Amino acid sequence: MKSLLILLAIFALNGNGVIFEEVPPQTSKITWVHNNAHSADRQLPETVGAGCAFVDYDNDGWLDVYFVNSGRSDFFTPTPPLKNALYRNNHDGTFTDVTDKAGVAVGKFGMGVAAADFDGDGFVDLYVTNYGPNILYRNNGNGTFTDVTDKAGVAAPGWSTCATWFDFDNDGKLDLFVSSFVFYDKSQNPLCTDATLQRRYYCVPRLFKPTPSRLFRNNGNGTFTDVSKQSGIADSPGKSFGAVATDVNNDGLMDLFVANDTMPNFLFLNKGAGKFEEIGLAAGVAYGEAGRPRSGMGVDAADYDGDGWQDLFVANIDHEFFSLYHNDKELIFTDQPGEVAPSTHLLSGWGLKFFDYDNDGDPDLFLVNGHPDDMIESRIARVRYKEPLLLFENTGKSFKDVSATSGAVFGREFSGRGMAVGDFDNDGDLDVLVSNNGERPLLLRNQGGNKNNWVGLNLVATKSNPAAVGAVITWQAGGVKRTRLRTGGGSYLSSHDPREVLGLGTATKIDSIEIRWPSGTIDRLNNVAINKYVKVVEGVGQNR
Amino acid sequence: MVCALVFVQFAVAQDVARLERVATLIRENKTVEAERQLATILHSKPNEPVGLNLLGTIRAKQGRLDEAEALFVRAVVNDPRYSGARMNLAYVYLQKREPAKAVVQLTEVLTIDPANAEAKVVLGDAYLANGNPDDAEKQYLDALDGRLDNAGALLGLAQISRLKGELKEVALYLNRIGTLTANSDSPEFLYKVATLALQAGMFDAAKASLENALKLRPDEPAYLLALGIAWLRKGDLFEAEKIFRHLLQLQPTSEQAQIHLGYVLLNQKKYDEARLWLEKSARSASPMPEVFYYLGLVAQEQNDDAKAIALFEKAVQKLPNYPHARIALGSSYIKLRNYPRAKEELETAVKLDPEEPTAHYNLALLYARLKDPARAQEEMKIVEKLKAKGGSDGVVVLPPNSSPRNP
Repeated sequence: MKSLLILLAIFALNGNGVIFEEVPPQTSKITWVHNNAHSADRQLPETVGAGCAFVDYDNDGWLDVYFVNSGRSDFFTPTPPLKNALYRNNHDGTFTDVTDKAGVAVGKFGMGVAAADFDGDGFVDLYVTNYGPNILYRNNGNGTFTDVTDKAGVAAPGWSTCATWFDFDNDGKLDLFVSSFVFYDKSQNPLCTDATLQRRYYCVPRLFKPTPSRLFRNNGNGTFTDVSKQSGIADSPGKSFGAVATDVNNDGLMDLFVANDTMPNFLFLNKGAGKFEEIGLAAGVAYGEAGRPRSGMGVDAADYDGDGWQDLFVANIDHEFFSLYHNDKELIFTDQPGEVAPSTHLLSGWGLKFFDYDNDGDPDLFLVNGHPDDMIESRIARVRYKEPLLLFENTGKSFKDVSATSGAVFGREFSGRGMAVGDFDNDGDLDVLVSNNGERPLLLRNQGGNKNNWVGLNLVATKSNPAAVGAVITWQAGGVKRTRLRTGGGSYLSSHDPREVLGLGTATKIDSIEIRWPSGTIDRLNNVAINKYVKVVEGVGQNR
Repeated sequence: MVCALVFVQFAVAQDVARLERVATLIRENKTVEAERQLATILHSKPNEPVGLNLLGTIRAKQGRLDEAEALFVRAVVNDPRYSGARMNLAYVYLQKREPAKAVVQLTEVLTIDPANAEAKVVLGDAYLANGNPDDAEKQYLDALDGRLDNAGALLGLAQISRLKGELKEVALYLNRIGTLTANSDSPEFLYKVATLALQAGMFDAAKASLENALKLRPDEPAYLLALGIAWLRKGDLFEAEKIFRHLLQLQPTSEQAQIHLGYVLLNQKKYDEARLWLEKSARSASPMPEVFYYLGLVAQEQNDDAKAIALFEKAVQKLPNYPHARIALGSSYIKLRNYPRAKEELETAVKLDPEEPTAHYNLALLYARLKDPARAQEEMKIVEKLKAKGGSDGVVVLPPNSSPRNP
């Protein structure tokens, strides 16, 4: 009781009384630390990684965690070799390192991870992106993984950043979009310095050549076909970081919104028949005001104002302001960041996600920040290398910054990069995993989000893609009807809980749930118990 | 006879001592006492040139320039070789924006005292104010006499270089002036240097001069306004905000401070507070067109397009050749999907300022929406070209005269 009083005295709780509390390594037993390979040469890959994932690799119903590390590359030879890390959830708030047993250590210069069951065998697989060829690990279903990259044909050499699983042709199989960053090798590292510092700092990506991102079509037999050219994706070389698959025009085809650094962002409109058209300029999401490209990094999509249309979010670098693109329909967006803009004026954003942290039914927004240049403080006033996390509460039509009242962790600063969202303790509110560049990660437990009621859905597709990306969930509780599109990817270099938690607010029962699967199948659920996770099988409905 | 001579000499010495005391009082800003003592002196000797000059100085300090002028003229009439009074008269003429009259007095001073470097510098200033930079340059160079130790002459030369568009030279002069005036005790001069530095885009130099000027004359509104503008031009909105807020504490009704604070907050996307300050500024007797433009931008950002358009129209009514207001109108019409009106406004904007990238970007956006990708790309190429040339960000621009406002 005494400690609670102290907590209340230090942190006036936000209106809904929800805070995020760090689960320290001593408690979680997650002792892994990211090594960013920081060097005097300031090789650019050092500063942009890495990602993390909430993933239930052993199908025990509890989220495990995966972290991506740096590793061997043309400019870095760590001794002993560095490893990515897979920690199994022990169901009691602790985790056990199972990396070696699972065979997912990698050892390459890692960037991100995208988890999904690409082969539909019921076990989640891992696609790890690297500076260098990527790796696809197929889950063997027995706690181990097999590197199937070569067979699958998804190595995508070069420098890949985010990977996004989605089904662009609605054939029920998960396809793969891989964001490509710049053309880079150690010989491509120009001397970036100034008279004041007289040492290198990380070069701005403007100096490097763009590369086209890749789209792989899933052939359904463990192999993929690179359709980057025929789909039109390769027509737009970029410097791509974040990507999210969403449906911006409600035509049932998943589009792609891709953030580019120092170049215009891309909005790839899915035209059907395997073709995409890049419409970023006309849509108003490519440039900042005045036609200046910004430094897009993390992205996400959600219908934040409940008008039935997917809105977009991009985090940029300091002084550029982050963008909240409201979908005005007819493929036109308007940047309406509201309170997010002044709060992010001096920040550089990476991991970010719309999710309902307080289970009141609407998507809120969590931002992970950190400047890419470790020497920025010597060069630009007020901009810090390590930056705070931010939490914004959805107020219906905009967002309110509630960071100051949402836990002590928001008063600290990090070199934040990746961010994953998931309910690791299965208590019905969504927790957050943050991966920091050159630092230990942060596991943040949501305390109080489950004061509101909720229903958790574990969607099991039978005809649609295994991740149910593109499914539209509509639920009604307490007289309020809400709709959510299940997007693919989002955030930065990271992968999230595959389940959907539907916030009910104070409603004590849920009136209805409808799932419109990407296949067109519609399942309607009645009499669903609240404050529980339920399995929903496509075409069958609730699996009791 | 000897006694009489001694008495006269004693009386003269006594007068000189009294006048020196008065001069000291004026320097110490004890003008009431100085004026009381001068009244006694001038009562017995109404045409005493030094006394008239000192009283003129008090009047000039009080801003009563016409009375000051009359007193200096009387001093000069009574002693035509009194170069100090002529210098003061010249200063008054310069303050009254009558540089031709100043030139006459300063020419006389230099006839009396050909080596007077100060007179040469002020004559240069008078020529410059009179639109005669060549004669001004000659005076400044004469004042320097081959040495780079006269800050006033260097400032004059810097101003001439700026008029000629020789910014490198301006920078060189200002750097030298910065060294010479690091310990200057003249806030007016430092302010003058800062003004020039601001105009030349040397914001750090301007800032340094203004900070020194403010040490000598803390809370001087003109200096604070200029310092805020210097921070703004340096791109530090937070420091600029602090300065303008401080200025508004001192002068809550300052239209300049209100519009600048509104502008800073607009750039920080703090729209609600920006609107408050801009609306205050708009309530002044003769609001500037920029106020309506900025208020329009706030309305645009807050999704009130009808209000935004009305405000931009008001800005354009006041200043028809206001390209940024036209661009903003075009942008609002794009948002409202009124593409013909958007095109009209944006094309007008391009005619007014072909080098403004924002106009071309909005045209690109418009053509992209009109499904004319070729023209959209053409416009984007222009944007790229202009940006490579170092064109403005165009996000929000300072008033169209694009110089700090009356610092």
